[in-house]
Amino acid sequence: MSDIGGKIGAAPITAPGWPAKSREGVAIVDCDVHQNFRRPEDLLPHLSKFYQEHLYDQGLHLPGGGYPNMPFRANRPDLKDPDLKERDFNFSVEFLQKEHLDRWHIDYALLTGPPPFYGYSGLPDPDWAAALCRAFNDWTIEHWLSRDGRLVNAILVSPTDPSQAVDEINRLAHRKDTVAVMVPMGTMMPFGNRFYHPIWEACENHGLPVVSHVGGGGGATRTVPTPVGFPTYYMESRMSRPYMASTHAASLICEGVFEKFPNLKFALIEAQQFWAVPLMWHMDSDWKALRDQTPWLKRLPSEYFRDHIRVGSQPLHEPERPEQIHQMLDMLHADETLIYCSDFPHFDWNDPVTTFPRLAEDLHQRIFVGNALEMLRMEDV
Amino acid sequence: MARITVARVSEIPPGQRKIVVPFRGRAGIGIFNVGGSFYAVRNICPHKNGPLCTGTLGGRVTTQVPPSTRGGEISIDGDGEILHCPWHQWSFEISTGRCLVDPEVYVKTYAVEIDGDDVVVTYED
Repeated sequence: MSDIGGKIGAAPITAPGWPAKSREGVAIVDCDVHQNFRRPEDLLPHLSKFYQEHLYDQGLHLPGGGYPNMPFRANRPDLKDPDLKERDFNFSVEFLQKEHLDRWHIDYALLTGPPPFYGYSGLPDPDWAAALCRAFNDWTIEHWLSRDGRLVNAILVSPTDPSQAVDEINRLAHRKDTVAVMVPMGTMMPFGNRFYHPIWEACENHGLPVVSHVGGGGGATRTVPTPVGFPTYYMESRMSRPYMASTHAASLICEGVFEKFPNLKFALIEAQQFWAVPLMWHMDSDWKALRDQTPWLKRLPSEYFRDHIRVGSQPLHEPERPEQIHQMLDMLHADETLIYCSDFPHFDWNDPVTTFPRLAEDLHQRIFVGNALEMLRMEDV
Repeated sequence: MARITVARVSEIPPGQRKIVVPFRGRAGIGIFNVGGSFYAVRNICPHKNGPLCTGTLGGRVTTQVPPSTRGGEISIDGDGEILHCPWHQWSFEISTGRCLVDPEVYVKTYAVEIDGDDVVVTYED
């Protein structure tokens, strides 16, 4: 890679020409922003002596950082720090402010943690996974949340030991900046399974939505990302994401999670979004035939979906004819289900300006602000 | 015809670039030295307005057959002649502005002349 001449000219051309500001000025709530540490040792002050020694001895020990052929270790090359070695990124709150929050006028950014770190959910040792989540959450509080009021947190918990996940939720739920709970999407069992219900119960008790981001279980290199096995290439692995997300969504609905926890919201992000349309249609038609097999479901599956499940906007499809996006958004009930996610700072991020065509003002407000603030219980901000 | 001196030849060795801002707009242009030849490319990706000229350089990655076929070999030709946008990785031929993943898409390029040690970009007013 050649020198890009410092950062001169690296600034993207933003065009914050929003149709309207609403809710007293909140114009963008970005539900997927990745903070990261520079070195695993950054977590040491937040680990107990036992796990400090574990980190010294073993390193992070995370199985697989993701599907192995992501370009540029997933990050946008235009953000690389010219003072650091090639392909290195100076992750810090100042970096996030300059390159994202200030540049694009982001009002609130939901921190979702670094996807390579989601491998904790694929660790054989659930106690090490829980210790890493605690340490990461405390590190995030100290180095990010305490330094910018626009940052809100999806605290990381590991689904491999629900009891420790519940402890972590109970430990941090009182914080104003704790607005969601993040579990990686790569799992050994779909999320409707009763094994996980204590986590969902704790989330409901504290009024916190679950936000599940693609990755984990070794970035789906440890747990099988498709029902037919492991794909070979990174692009294939991306194509498997809707199947992971739709399997979780169908599981949550069929197992009656939303009958049991009627106030729970559950977001599935970075797994695309339009898979939800045929899923809702197919589940509704199947439910009419098979209703007696899940008699605890009182409503159409699509009604549970629209009330409880949210999907992230990134990566957004680019239809053959651009205007088809409007039909897709209509079928998705995007005014209820879609939340804007940038995926900053990754190479395939979706900026807030050019990603969507011009939308009707009320739909724009729902996708970029309303749906997220309701899910995160931040309506009053 | 407008002529604007944007750089010294010695500033941009082969394989290097200089981004000049502003140039007919805030985004500027990237001046690339590809193996001794100079090119000027608008610094806006026609896909999603990304800062194209800050992207990574590469070559044309080609093979005739899938890797499961005996005899297939993947080659990289013209290393340094292809520019990848840092947003979404669409690839462009620096010398022509041609997009390699969509034949209908081009990024704007400008003619470049070398005048002594001056790199001069020209365009119709």
